[in-house]
Amino acid sequence: MSGVPDLSVAIGTMKLKAPVMPASGTFGYGQEYSEFVNLNRLGAIIVKTITLRPKVGSPPHRSTEVSSGLLANIGLQNVGVKRFIEEKLPYFEGIDAPLIVSIGGESVEEFAEVAKLLNYQKRVDALEINISCPNVQKGGMQFGADLEVTRDLVSRIRDLTEKVVIVKLTPMVTDIRPFAEICQECGADGVSLINALVGMAIDIKTRRSKLGRNVTGGLVGPAIKPHALYLVWQAGKAVDIPVIGIGGITSAEDAIEFFIAGASAVQIGTWNFIQPGGLERIIDGIRAYMEENGITKVSELIGTLTGEPKI
Amino acid sequence: MQYPILENQRVSHNYFLLCLDISEIAKPPKPGQFYNLRCGETKDPLLRRPFSMHRLLRGKGSVHLEILYRVTGKGTKWLSRRKKGEFLDAIGPFGNGFFIEQSVTNAVLVARGIGIAPLYAVGEAFQGITKETNVFILMGARIKERLFYEEQCKRIGEIFPYTDDGSRGFQGRAPELLVDLMRQGKLPRKFTLYACGPANMLRELADISESFGFSGQVALEGHMGCGFGVCLSCACPLRPERVKRNEFWKKPALQWSEDGSRVYSLICKDGPIYDIREVDWDEWCA
Repeated sequence: MSGVPDLSVAIGTMKLKAPVMPASGTFGYGQEYSEFVNLNRLGAIIVKTITLRPKVGSPPHRSTEVSSGLLANIGLQNVGVKRFIEEKLPYFEGIDAPLIVSIGGESVEEFAEVAKLLNYQKRVDALEINISCPNVQKGGMQFGADLEVTRDLVSRIRDLTEKVVIVKLTPMVTDIRPFAEICQECGADGVSLINALVGMAIDIKTRRSKLGRNVTGGLVGPAIKPHALYLVWQAGKAVDIPVIGIGGITSAEDAIEFFIAGASAVQIGTWNFIQPGGLERIIDGIRAYMEENGITKVSELIGTLTGEPKI
Repeated sequence: MQYPILENQRVSHNYFLLCLDISEIAKPPKPGQFYNLRCGETKDPLLRRPFSMHRLLRGKGSVHLEILYRVTGKGTKWLSRRKKGEFLDAIGPFGNGFFIEQSVTNAVLVARGIGIAPLYAVGEAFQGITKETNVFILMGARIKERLFYEEQCKRIGEIFPYTDDGSRGFQGRAPELLVDLMRQGKLPRKFTLYACGPANMLRELADISESFGFSGQVALEGHMGCGFGVCLSCACPLRPERVKRNEFWKKPALQWSEDGSRVYSLICKDGPIYDIREVDWDEWCA
């Protein structure tokens, strides 16, 4: 009815040509997917969480499949910010899509150091502060489950970078809303949720965890989608900044559910492992849905759940 | 990519042989490399399953890939029910593959159970590049009913079967049989070992390789999320001082600790084939 749908959305000053991007930790440093996906079609690219120093990550065995999900304890294995800048970043000079770098650390200082170093990098468009990794001993989710620490960390990063700042939230809290609100208060340009839920799987023959010495891991994949949708719906009502929906998305239909619940964009995680070209199909599917339903802009979908009782 | 199934048949007990027409593929696999197959149409099972190349059959303008697999769970059960003419969603080939040198005069293949699948490709590769290499195959299982593929393996070398209960061949496990054969002089003094099987078996073979002084390569199995080096699930600890890198084994995915005292390697990208002495077996089997 009204021409070509416009899939673009904005997170702060960052313009995404489509509301779809990979989730950190499922897309390597981007280049690994170049043979499967046209990276320039993506709304943005998010790389694996980078820390100040390189991390070898968790001991074996790091993952196990569970019903419609993946339980994994990777322990933020990454090359460290120095090698990232020297060896991984130059690849993005040839790519148009905005680049979001996920950052992690064991202390506010470490997060700040990484953010400072990346602030000098022109090619980096945004930072996603990972305060929600379930598998690191210090920092990680402990940051994301404490309101005051979240406030300190987000304001600190906000003060020292001009980049777009997104905060990735953990679902492992009693109420997600105050966390989203604090991020907004501290000047974040958006929040992304959810990171993994914590889970376990046990081998009943050996009575050992299927993740060996790691014992617990982060549960991701389609199994967590209903919970993710619920938290996105809650966060979407609590804040005005964009909410990026993450959790078990495998299709355009899944993504559209997140838009209706309140997400301005979505991240695709585990599904990249199964269908490494899946991101483009999801973008195509969203466009087809918009065409079929006469939707001209993604914003016409965001937070449009009907049938909610009025309070 | 979708590939047509040319055959998918039970070969013994819960072992199946799948044949895919991969003529369309740009880069055919090498022994030791693997494909990641989607084993279902729903989200449970979710992840792809890795299967090593068993045989590559090249015809005029056609390339057929054989995969030998064991039904162990939901995914492989689904796979075993696929029929000729249907299509399978496969990505690959992934991994480094065995390093097969023409100069090897004696190759000893050590397999347990389905471990024979990639090793058969090694035997065939030696036949293909040189008729000079003597191939010896130690193959076994818990009981004789689980031992299969003997007839086929006779085509590529001399067979030494073993079973845990002695119902067929040597009574005992592969490492014991290997030592026994060496002591009896039934194997040449110098050989290269190629092994695939449970981690504990590989670990024992590594110990034996140290004490008897032979070199070897092992095919490792790890839980994989993706197969192409991004999920970082299949990290295997290596011994920093023994890491083997060369033109064929570039190991692009090594992650060193800052002080160089620890290093993890991704089985899907750097492996699944490793030098038998570079794996940190204590850590891997812990």
